Amino acid sequence: MRSFVALPGRRASLLANRAILAFVFIGALAMAFGGQSTSGAAQAPTSHSPPPLASNPARGKVVYDQRCVECHGVAGKGDGPAAHLLIPRPRDFTLGRYKIRTTETGSIPTDEDLLRSVRKGLYGTAMPGWDTILSDADIHEVVAYIKMLSPRFASETPKPIAAAPQVESSPESVRRGADVYATLQCGKCHGSDGRGSGATATTFEDDWRQPLHAADLTEPWTFHGGPGAQDLYMRFSAGMSGTPMPSFKDSTSGGAMWDLANYVVSLARKPLWQMNAQEVAEHYARLDAEARANPVKRGQYLVDTIGCALCHSPVDDHKRMIPGLKMAGGFRIQVVPFGDYPAGNLTSDKETGLGNWTDDEIKRVLTRGILKDGARLLPYPMDWPSYSTMKADDLNAIVAYLRTLPPVSNKVPPPSRTSLPLFLWGKFKLLILGDDPPMVFYPGNIGSAGAGAGAQP
Amino acid sequence: MKRILKWIVGIVLVIGGVAFLAFLYFIPPFLTATPETFSGPMATAPPVSRIADPAERAIAERGREIVMRTGCIGCHATNGSQGPDLTKYLAGGGLKFRTPHGTFVSRNLTPDKETGLGKRTDDEVKRVLRSGLFADGHIAPYTVMPWADYSNWTEEDRHAVVVYLRHLPSVRHQIPDPDKQPAITRPGAIEQAYGGKDYGVTPASPVE
Repeated sequence: MRSFVALPGRRASLLANRAILAFVFIGALAMAFGGQSTSGAAQAPTSHSPPPLASNPARGKVVYDQRCVECHGVAGKGDGPAAHLLIPRPRDFTLGRYKIRTTETGSIPTDEDLLRSVRKGLYGTAMPGWDTILSDADIHEVVAYIKMLSPRFASETPKPIAAAPQVESSPESVRRGADVYATLQCGKCHGSDGRGSGATATTFEDDWRQPLHAADLTEPWTFHGGPGAQDLYMRFSAGMSGTPMPSFKDSTSGGAMWDLANYVVSLARKPLWQMNAQEVAEHYARLDAEARANPVKRGQYLVDTIGCALCHSPVDDHKRMIPGLKMAGGFRIQVVPFGDYPAGNLTSDKETGLGNWTDDEIKRVLTRGILKDGARLLPYPMDWPSYSTMKADDLNAIVAYLRTLPPVSNKVPPPSRTSLPLFLWGKFKLLILGDDPPMVFYPGNIGSAGAGAGAQP
Repeated sequence: MKRILKWIVGIVLVIGGVAFLAFLYFIPPFLTATPETFSGPMATAPPVSRIADPAERAIAERGREIVMRTGCIGCHATNGSQGPDLTKYLAGGGLKFRTPHGTFVSRNLTPDKETGLGKRTDDEVKRVLRSGLFADGHIAPYTVMPWADYSNWTEEDRHAVVVYLRHLPSVRHQIPDPDKQPAITRPGAIEQAYGGKDYGVTPASPVE
């Protein structure tokens, strides 16, 4: 923790810049106080008693501001700086609607549900398990604070679902579960084999219009709420609020849902880390075949994981993506002493985006850093030297995906060189004064679609 | 007379230096070099052929592809006297980020026990790649370490990356801890410093 504790003098100087640095200030304060109480809290007995809401609500906020704002945002609206890159998006705590519950549809979750999500994390998402980082007392207090962010928790009481007696897994139960799977038409979204084969619905949005994937039922390590039959039973009973996954509690008996849970557990395939050489080869051959069969999906995966959106989706001063400018470029990067390199518009707009680029022109900029008009890019910040290592199939997949981006008109100026005197001054600082030539990122949009925070340095 | 000569030589040197820099401005080195000069070395990540176990080798090969296309080396390179030293692949220290949250230097990702990832468990490394959460409890800003993009990796791809990192040649290279200080020069700007300065290279830096 040594590097976290803010020195008193630094904290005082921060106060002066508070308007600019509110975010940092809260974080530093959290670190300062966080360090003090953790030792005491670590000895607190692990109990499942309700969080001490009235005792010290500010304490939960301190934990929240230190650990949670990067994704969930300062106000808990699920719009932290990293949020726009994450699939699925972080929870908006102000609505009080949660996916992972053991309570009736429409009900708020129990404290134990929230505590579990914080302790163990949500598998298959960016939400980590905090039980190895935070003390149990801290986890209780941060959950108490999260509950305060939504008025629902003050006015409503959770309605827990009483689980039917568990049906132990057996070949008969699994067989009955397969019938339930067919009757409930789970295959419409999850596919007849649990991994999407023959699914009629393939693109999903949640109630907040964010993209979702249907769970691959053969990969239990990605189930957000846990891989066990008990976890699955609760997902079937409670549904997942805000997503197309409904509750089957009223249409299906408890026994049938246990059978279904046992069936889904039985679908699990061997994970990569347990495979032998032949299974690994078959697994990768299958993935490659699927990628060739569905290049748009593969291209989306590559674009989402390489992080094109990091620079090509401009953000505001709070590092939140400017609405409507997803992949529309305009984020300015100043490379001293060479010039300004704005991120291009990658949408399929014919005038300002890639709509008029040929496939080869897109692949040329990805692998050789040469723009449509023949201008050369620096080897950074656009990392085309690394992208040049991609296989031809993957490059084609990226092009196929970029073609599907809805057009956004945002005319981004071309790269511009610094003037000769500024260049000489920059070189002088570099060569004579020994300065590091910095690369400065200006978030915001310098394109034609509205001025952003990055318009001025 | 001698003094005048000195002055003339000095002035000629200064003019020559400025003229050379002007030459660099109008014909920058990156325009005279072919794109392959930059992209070629990116494909030279340490190969996985030394790995004995065939399953692990296939997984590490997949991890190597991901590491190369993601451009980890863009930040985690180690600077030699002439640019990045790719023989010390992913040994870190090549980039320093000055941000409103503090100063971060790219870490050593090789399996060295004291200075690299050797002291971290697989789960700890995967947690950084999934959530940006480090073992000491701090979260790296995603603008420095873009974990928010890597969190979209499938768990199996993330596993492949970690398997590959575990088989990199071990390099002893101590990187200073993040200097988390509330220093800011330009609001809204994130400064990323490239440069020839290396940070905390131990004198020998033996490659095992």
